Amino acid sequence: MLKFAIRRTLYMFPILFGIALVTFLLFNVAGGDPAAQAAGKYATAEKIQEMRESLGIAGPLHEQFFGHLKQMATFDFGRSWSTKQTIRSMIFSGIGASVSLMVPVYVISLILAISLALLVAFLRGTFFDGATLVVSLALMSISSLVYILAGQYFVGYELGLFPINGWDSSLIARWQYLVLPTLIFVVLSLGSNVLFYRTVFLDQMYQDYVRTARSKGLADRVILFKHVLRNAMIPIITVVVTQLPFMILGSLLLESFFGIPGLGRMIVDAIQSSDFPVIKAMTTITAILVLVFQLVADLLYAVVDPRVQVR
Amino acid sequence: MFKTTKSIVQLVILTATCLVISACTNSCSQKTSSTDTTLHFPLASTIKGMDPIQSNSTYSSRVVSQIFTPLFEYHYLKRPYELVPQAAESMPEASADGLVHTIKIRKGMKFHNNDCFENGEGREVKASDFIYSWKRLADPDNRANGFWIFDGKIKGLNEWRDAKSKGEADYDTVIEGMKVLDDYTLQITLTKPYYQLYYTLAMEFTAVVPKEAVDKYGEEFLNNPVGSGPYVFTEWVRGSKITLDKNPTFFGQKYPSEGAEGDKEAGLLDDAGQDIPFNDKIIFYEVVESQPLWLNFMKGNYDVAGIPKDNFDAVVVEGELSDDMKGKGIQMSTYLQPDVTYIAFNMKDPILGKNDKLRKAIAMAYDSATSIDKFYNGRGVKAHSPIAPGIDAYDPEFKNPYVEFDQSKAKQMLKDAGFPDGKGAPVLEYATTSSSTARQMAEYFKQNMEAVGLKIQIASVSWPQLQAKIKDAKAQMWGIAWLADYPDAENFLQLLYGPNQAPGPNGANFNNKKFNKLYEQASALPPGEERTAVYQKMRDIFVEEMPWVPNVHRKGYSLRHGWIKNYKPHAIKANSLKYFKVDTGKRSELKAKL
Repeated sequence: MLKFAIRRTLYMFPILFGIALVTFLLFNVAGGDPAAQAAGKYATAEKIQEMRESLGIAGPLHEQFFGHLKQMATFDFGRSWSTKQTIRSMIFSGIGASVSLMVPVYVISLILAISLALLVAFLRGTFFDGATLVVSLALMSISSLVYILAGQYFVGYELGLFPINGWDSSLIARWQYLVLPTLIFVVLSLGSNVLFYRTVFLDQMYQDYVRTARSKGLADRVILFKHVLRNAMIPIITVVVTQLPFMILGSLLLESFFGIPGLGRMIVDAIQSSDFPVIKAMTTITAILVLVFQLVADLLYAVVDPRVQVR
Repeated sequence: MFKTTKSIVQLVILTATCLVISACTNSCSQKTSSTDTTLHFPLASTIKGMDPIQSNSTYSSRVVSQIFTPLFEYHYLKRPYELVPQAAESMPEASADGLVHTIKIRKGMKFHNNDCFENGEGREVKASDFIYSWKRLADPDNRANGFWIFDGKIKGLNEWRDAKSKGEADYDTVIEGMKVLDDYTLQITLTKPYYQLYYTLAMEFTAVVPKEAVDKYGEEFLNNPVGSGPYVFTEWVRGSKITLDKNPTFFGQKYPSEGAEGDKEAGLLDDAGQDIPFNDKIIFYEVVESQPLWLNFMKGNYDVAGIPKDNFDAVVVEGELSDDMKGKGIQMSTYLQPDVTYIAFNMKDPILGKNDKLRKAIAMAYDSATSIDKFYNGRGVKAHSPIAPGIDAYDPEFKNPYVEFDQSKAKQMLKDAGFPDGKGAPVLEYATTSSSTARQMAEYFKQNMEAVGLKIQIASVSWPQLQAKIKDAKAQMWGIAWLADYPDAENFLQLLYGPNQAPGPNGANFNNKKFNKLYEQASALPPGEERTAVYQKMRDIFVEEMPWVPNVHRKGYSLRHGWIKNYKPHAIKANSLKYFKVDTGKRSELKAKL
């Protein structure tokens, strides 16, 4: 297992190099000239060149690339062009906001979706199953923007149950601003999650081992929780772990609409202001997070399913 | 074990119930006590920072102007716009040749209390602080957005900038054109007459900053602003809200005692002569999306708002505020913005640049009146020239014959241009940003052109890409807008001055010798009838050449709750919030109706 983990970690390095190369090509070679943008509306040719030098993008490409590699290795992406803060400090302050929104969102929607999916899988073919299917499909078909707009209007404005949007730096006062976006995210992700987990569970429920367990006289509850749930862990882990990076990176749409100063919002702002160092840092970090969580998923497969061999 | 689990579950349920109950009682609307005079002001965007030398957006200027003080400001009530002293004691004295300007600053004006000063107490602002602040603006290391206002205009400043970039000068190096005569007097010497100088000294770019704060906070001064304005920076939850508190050491400015016609009747002089600012606190909310901004305004959580495009028809009925809104005590102000939206032609383009008749045919084929209804809810007036309303050379009666929509005349003009019914004309590229409204506008332009036989291809690109295309002179034509930095036609006409060609602000690359000469002539003239006449001659050359199709001067609509007193819109001045007064009694009464 340890050998596998080390080998899998080492495999990540060439991939990381590839990521570095692709992000470098995207931002430093193929992208437009950020200096012209940064120079403002009264830019002159000299001013743009001056800007290019001060932004560190005037040197030869290989030097710029080594600089980029160094930044990745030291996790020091320099300062944002627009906010002048160190990108590291921006990330640390944004993570708190994103995580305080996304952790409850993921935990609640996961528990709800798996419980509902287990229930409808258990009651397959009944009216309840059919109704859940229809409702889930309907929930999936509606654009996420509709949930946000309707949620803010009815829950926030008409009923006045929670603030329409906003944020507070105090952890205690913050929760009231998180309820509405959490509710919305849970509802909007419920449909697809229930359908997915239902399919996973049903797939398991038609397996031979379930039939054998039934014929041995095991109670449905035991079959469901002890056997089906455990065997369904592989696809569940795959989905949950691949979603984990976004738990840290936040939700672009929700953070924008609800004024939550998380990483999602930070990425949107960086894109809007062509803040290349921030965009580059976040692209790199996203790629690294995906890689790391894939490794975690691979390791977890082996933990939950003894049939998976790690060599 | 079971008991423990049960207790935890009970605890969780209890906590959740408490939280929901407290949410229902607390969060329906902003908590405001009957004596709380906090002004809740939404910004329809996030801001990058609060350093005056970088404050080039409407939103950042709004915040910066509450914290910092430039030498001058616009009179809050008088129209047309008039400059008055702010940090200066009086208006400057100018030499006969218009080159030397002597300015006295207020005595006793202090910087905000801050840890950057000894004992945390703000010291007195001196004339040398202004010179320091302007050197910061010119310092190439700062990459200031606002340097264009001084570029090439102050004796020795550009030379200092060059020397600074080579490490041959520093902040102690004396600049010939920026002298401190004594602690409260400074003198500016220009390279040539520049009558827009006083306007630039009212812009946030030139506001005074303390060296101590810049030294202490370094690059993050923009996140820790220290100024001498009516409000002190307290907290910024980046991307969410900015809190400013009333400056206890503000230099005792008074609410104006004179105004424009009708201001007295409107109650705008009720507080004449009183100390400002009136409110104890301002909270700016950075709200990017229009729905939460609008709903919060309607709930009374924000004191002012614009009208989102989608809500316009419900709010404004036949040009008036709807009865429903009036019933809630909401008030509306309208004003013409000193701006112009236009379709620019690249005059270096071998097809469009060489054929004025083709440009005129395009202008005549474009139905701008309908575009104002379609894309601006009718919020604007048709533009006939580059000069915007509220500016001296703007003439509301002036008619540009080539922007009168007439398809038959456009077809005739197209024929005269050598392309009868568009035959023989190549496909022209119209560049636009990729936002949905910009794309719709481009489609509308395309339909208008196709109606006279011209084929248009739309290039939908990001804003930075569009800027790059314009700066590289690679765009053929594109839609864009310009909002005045100060109320002088020069600010619009410089967009057409030959030496300002791309990558400068003259993206159309218009280069007309007569126009350039008149521009230079106008630069040497003080404001007055003679200069206005020159500006109008330049406008006439513009009409003959049509390097742009002027489209619309937009009309601003702003809403406020009835508890905000002393509200008068000002299209250029950003520091108006110090005059606003929250009527707490009225707020309690009106909030109950929302």
